Amino acid sequence: MAENKTYEKPLPDFRPETKPYWDACKKHELVLPRSKTTGEFFFYPRAISPGNDMSEDIEWVKASGKAKVWTYSIHYMGPTKAYKNDPPYVVALVETSEGVKMMTNIVDCDPKDVRIGMDVEVVFDDVTDEVTLPKFKPAK
Amino acid sequence: MATSIPRVKEAREVLKKNKIVIAGVGETEQGKIPDKSSFHFLSLASKLAIEDAGIKKSDVDGLITAFSLVEHTFMHCTTFADYFGLRPKFFSSVAIGGATAVWMAAEAAMAIASGQAEVVLCVRGDNTLSGISSSGMVALIREMCHAEFEFPYGLTTPGGYALAARRYLHDFGATREHLAAVAVTMRKHAALKENAMNKEPLTIEEVMSSRVIADPLTKYDCSIISDGGAAFIVTTEAKAKELGIKNPLAYLWGMGQGYSHQYLTSLRDLDQIYNAINNSGQRAFQTAGIGPKDVDVAFLYDCFTITVLLEFEGLGFVPKGEGGPFALEGRMEIGKDLPVNTHGGLLSQAHLGAMHHVVEATLQLRGAAGPRQVKDAKVALVHGNGGIVSAHSTIVLGKEPLS
Repeated sequence: MAENKTYEKPLPDFRPETKPYWDACKKHELVLPRSKTTGEFFFYPRAISPGNDMSEDIEWVKASGKAKVWTYSIHYMGPTKAYKNDPPYVVALVETSEGVKMMTNIVDCDPKDVRIGMDVEVVFDDVTDEVTLPKFKPAK
Repeated sequence: MATSIPRVKEAREVLKKNKIVIAGVGETEQGKIPDKSSFHFLSLASKLAIEDAGIKKSDVDGLITAFSLVEHTFMHCTTFADYFGLRPKFFSSVAIGGATAVWMAAEAAMAIASGQAEVVLCVRGDNTLSGISSSGMVALIREMCHAEFEFPYGLTTPGGYALAARRYLHDFGATREHLAAVAVTMRKHAALKENAMNKEPLTIEEVMSSRVIADPLTKYDCSIISDGGAAFIVTTEAKAKELGIKNPLAYLWGMGQGYSHQYLTSLRDLDQIYNAINNSGQRAFQTAGIGPKDVDVAFLYDCFTITVLLEFEGLGFVPKGEGGPFALEGRMEIGKDLPVNTHGGLLSQAHLGAMHHVVEATLQLRGAAGPRQVKDAKVALVHGNGGIVSAHSTIVLGKEPLS
């Protein structure tokens, strides 16, 4: 997971309201947005709570980093040429202990061993100097 | 799952009073056709539908188009009006992915019922197979998912559907054979349609042993990409008579939409998808005053095999999890319990959203579907799905006026 200046895969295009999330990732911390009005977590990050409160009063809470695989797909074809040597790789939708879903990759695991309901924990992949992607691996 | 939906009675009165009909249909050749542009296909399909109705181009006073994956336009409907030489009184571009074609019919009905137009041309055409660049394809895959929180993980479009499929298999103990049976049924139907791309016989074993794209989906679980156009003309029974249209008319009995999520990240569970499909279907069914058992032929959005099972179950044709065995027993085939996509669908005929689903539903109700004709077809349902089983639209069509 060393710095890789020739990373050619798609990178997230940050928005003002998502910056705290990516800044935390860079520091290898997973934070999740929560409406201070309702106390409810939501994901992906938005400038305004998607709940009925429509609140801009949002706090970033350090997440447990624990999740369960809700569903997954072993990809044998990637979306761009940069994925040429990656398949098979696992794209998964995981449910965090805070109750939100995140799209991610399951790493440090044979794709054949991934199961729905499997316990996973966050790891950080510094894909470029600027961008760190949170991914998940089987929990110890 | 049936719940009472507000304003269904009012909607029913509007459709009963106006007697909205599909009076003309047209479809161009479908396949790999590199010598025609997107607007060429739109024009040809429009011409065919106008000729099928036997009306003059100048009789058309409303236009609904969709979008192009190849020719990006700021205002698609008016760009096409300019190209084709129309001066519509009402115009709109519907851009809700695979839910578009079905909703064109609904939007045309609303425009007519509110006095905006009398004869609405609904048309879609694109040279997706020949015209899309590799960067255009990447842009499309990126737009199908969340660019910031999903795409960087290498999620593909088949991959998104595979995520739904994997969870479906898990929740209901369904199998790969159940998905494969949908692809096999579509192929059998396409074999009966002249204007279909893939007609060679396909077996469940072939589907299952073909190249895996995004596990659990293989190549044959995924729809085809094609060039071509299709159109239909929406008007009222009275206007059709006034214009001397001779085609048997397909009457609009009900319509509805249902929304689940845009991004899979926002999905709680499969019930969220089922509820969106059901809301869409229930509004259409309740407006029509019928239920799933009254449908003679169904057209379900089949961009991937999994969507057919989710829609079949969500619309209430069978309980959740029972769509797979129904397909595997061949009960979606012509001549069986409930024929689905008699034209071969997106999986085997051609991919132009649900345009061909609407066209074929109309042909079935006319009794003009040739070797694919469902005996005594009186009620047809068409369901579209845009995004990754995200946005849903349903129409119910009848051979007779709504009574």
